[in-house]
Amino acid sequence: MSTAPDFTFCTVQYDSGDWDSAPLVSANLIDSVARYTSISVAPTGVTVPLGSTELFKYPLAYLTGHLPVRFSDLERRMLREYCDRGGMLFVDDHNHDVDGVFHKSAVEEITRAIAPLKELANTHALYSSFFKFEDGPPTTTHELNGWGDNLVHKHLLAVQRGDRIAVLYSSKDYSSEWGYHPDNKRFLSIDNTKFGVNIIVYALTR
Amino acid sequence: MTIVERVERARRTLRAAAIAAVVLRGVAVALAVLLLAATADAFVALPAGARDLVPLAALLASLLPIMRRLRRLGIRSDALSAALWIESRFPALRYALVTAVDPRYSGRVPEIERAAAAVPFEPVVKTAARRALTGPAIAVVVTALVLLMLPAGAVARVVRPAAGDALDRARAGSRTNPLATVVVRVTPPAYASLRAESFDNPASVRSLVGSAVIVEGVMGDGAVVATIGDSRTTATPNGDRWRLSLAMPATPTAVRFRAAAHERLLVLEPAPDSAPVVVLTLPARDSILRRATGRVRLTATATDDYGLASGAFELIVSSGGGENFTFKSRTLGAATFSSKTGELAASISLDSIGLQPGDMLHLRAVVRDRNDVSGPGVGTSDTRTLRIARTDEYDSVAVDPAPPPEAEKNALSQRMLRMMAQALEKKRPNISRAALVTESRSIALDQTRLRKRIGEIVFTRLGEDTGEEGDAVQKRLDKPVNADSVLAAADRVANEAAGTALEGDHDETPLLAVNRPLLEAYNAMWSASSELEVGDPAKAIPFMKKALDALQAARSAERIYLRGRTRAVVVDIERVRLQGTDKGKPAGRTPRLAADPARDKRIERFDAALLLVRTAPSAAVDSLLLLRLDLLDRDISAARAIEAAANALRGGHDATNALIRARRAIASAPAASTALSAWGSPP
Repeated sequence: MSTAPDFTFCTVQYDSGDWDSAPLVSANLIDSVARYTSISVAPTGVTVPLGSTELFKYPLAYLTGHLPVRFSDLERRMLREYCDRGGMLFVDDHNHDVDGVFHKSAVEEITRAIAPLKELANTHALYSSFFKFEDGPPTTTHELNGWGDNLVHKHLLAVQRGDRIAVLYSSKDYSSEWGYHPDNKRFLSIDNTKFGVNIIVYALTR
Repeated sequence: MTIVERVERARRTLRAAAIAAVVLRGVAVALAVLLLAATADAFVALPAGARDLVPLAALLASLLPIMRRLRRLGIRSDALSAALWIESRFPALRYALVTAVDPRYSGRVPEIERAAAAVPFEPVVKTAARRALTGPAIAVVVTALVLLMLPAGAVARVVRPAAGDALDRARAGSRTNPLATVVVRVTPPAYASLRAESFDNPASVRSLVGSAVIVEGVMGDGAVVATIGDSRTTATPNGDRWRLSLAMPATPTAVRFRAAAHERLLVLEPAPDSAPVVVLTLPARDSILRRATGRVRLTATATDDYGLASGAFELIVSSGGGENFTFKSRTLGAATFSSKTGELAASISLDSIGLQPGDMLHLRAVVRDRNDVSGPGVGTSDTRTLRIARTDEYDSVAVDPAPPPEAEKNALSQRMLRMMAQALEKKRPNISRAALVTESRSIALDQTRLRKRIGEIVFTRLGEDTGEEGDAVQKRLDKPVNADSVLAAADRVANEAAGTALEGDHDETPLLAVNRPLLEAYNAMWSASSELEVGDPAKAIPFMKKALDALQAARSAERIYLRGRTRAVVVDIERVRLQGTDKGKPAGRTPRLAADPARDKRIERFDAALLLVRTAPSAAVDSLLLLRLDLLDRDISAARAIEAAANALRGGHDATNALIRARRAIASAPAASTALSAWGSPP
């Protein structure tokens, strides 16, 4: 008799922008969760509209894109309720550009829907929830290659509710960093998705 | 003058004296009421509501007896009454005067009239009138003198009670607590068009950010010093008072006043100025257009709490796909407003924008309010998206990308260098020339390093050594290197490397054409570093911008993406399960708390403040105010309850009920949600 998995990777579908710009991230992180942990994980991710109550079934929701993000009133309300109920939204700027429209519009919408983002200390529990990241968020090759804003972002941003993260925001373009088929991990000397495992473990245990 | 006329004259004199006496008595009563109230206020501060009633009470106290007396005077003010009054003073008349003025007998009995006329009663009337006026007049003078001897402010507090007059009753010059009575005058920013307000002894003051807050008190023991965070400000003496000017900060702040051994807290509570609420009414919904033709009508409405300033529609056109998007933005339909509500209207021709298949047009209305202090507040509407359908909308190619390439780590990016130069230029007025040149040369060094890296790329492509920058060029030039010479040499090198130019392309070789953006960047970087070397970042910034644009152009020209709809990947969980060689160590799981963990701490602080109520009430009030400050941005109802309790304690009133309400507000029952799923388990 099969039981429902403990964790299902959820990608948020929003009305504006290209929410499906990083389709391989979900598979890659699912692979990593299975590879490093004993968490019972669904073999494929799901896509859930942001304006749907289905979202409340998933403790972690992943949102990315390149284009301007404009939430509808319903989406804004559902996102606020999702965070109020204990969900964690992980937003990654696929443009890796602080001058880019995704960054500007997404930050504006998060501020409007929930609260202003603030820098997350590099000693936060997120960085030791499974693997240990002494220096905070791992640098992506896209930052080092000088794409997007050509900046190496020292911190992630977050909205915290009490002692837990409600919204985690990254300008580091993990969507590009992790956007490859999981079978290609064999080409990497160091698996760059380990931080994704930390995010998932953190979302499941806080 | 006949006897009748003489009696009538006496009657008028007596009547006028009686009326004047009544009025004087009324005035004396009114002054006495004011004197009583002012004296009571000097010992026990009367609340503003009670002082508001004092002028009315004085008026009523004077008018009621006047009216009653005047009504009685009206009944007795005929000639017979006056004659009887005179007869009572001159019994020898034996009613001759009454008979003489009686209309029934007037002129009929001349002997009686002669007898009455022989009596000189006028001096008695005048004396009686003088006596009637003397007492009330003395009463008026005495009460008026006593009132004049009181401090001017004390009388004004009961005659014209107003917010902010608490200082009028405080005694100046005596060695007392200068913080015992303070008045806070708040003047909101001009854009809000709100009236200035004054508050007597407030525990907290709420107003818009940027409001001028003037705190005043009476001089006493020691100088008054206000502490906000780490900054200290000393109050300015102003006659027998001290005065301190503050500005309403953006976040709730406690101002701690100290004077000798005295201390007092004042919470500055900024009131929010909401951003405008904007509703985009047209277009009503997102849509996909087959062709980008025709006009689109745009309308929006906006409202604001203090007043709108300007607004416009904002358009963003995004073109491209995958990783390579370009954006153009513009505004249209700009309008200015002078009220709290406004409407925007415009229309846009899709033909004029030049939309291509696959492009997206994002539309929204942006409105700014009049806040010129902490704003302007910017309100935006929802965004509508119009997309132009692609002809190959459903074509797709699945491409599995390769692993990411090795990282470039050893050079600062051109964008970072430009930001550093802009930052340096911004702080230029505040630093010395020597510091400017030092920092500018530091940036120039990094700029040169990056330029050399670009040079290496260019000359590697041209088939030359990747050694020192410009070596290949230098070999051909035998003269000093500069940007133009490098570019020219590169052109020659490219000509040699590529052989004869292609037919029809006489201006530049294909190889140089590919490298031209990088060469442009190289050239601009050279100019930028030259300007930075002489300490002029302002002149370097345009070159740095040009270099950055050229680098972007080079990158866009050379990056090729093959992208389509990616196949859904199903991970073989069993195959990969725990195959990772790296072993993580999950942190201990923290159970999800049922309630706000900070709540218990707040309750502890509240209970600690309660313990101080009997022994040190002022310390208890300060503790409550600080607790309120922490609650302002998270639980406004609890903050208000604490404010009421603190005010009650400070005013010396029974604060039991207010404290009970505050305790309940802080320790509210945690809200439980029943809709949560059973999420996850420890790994």
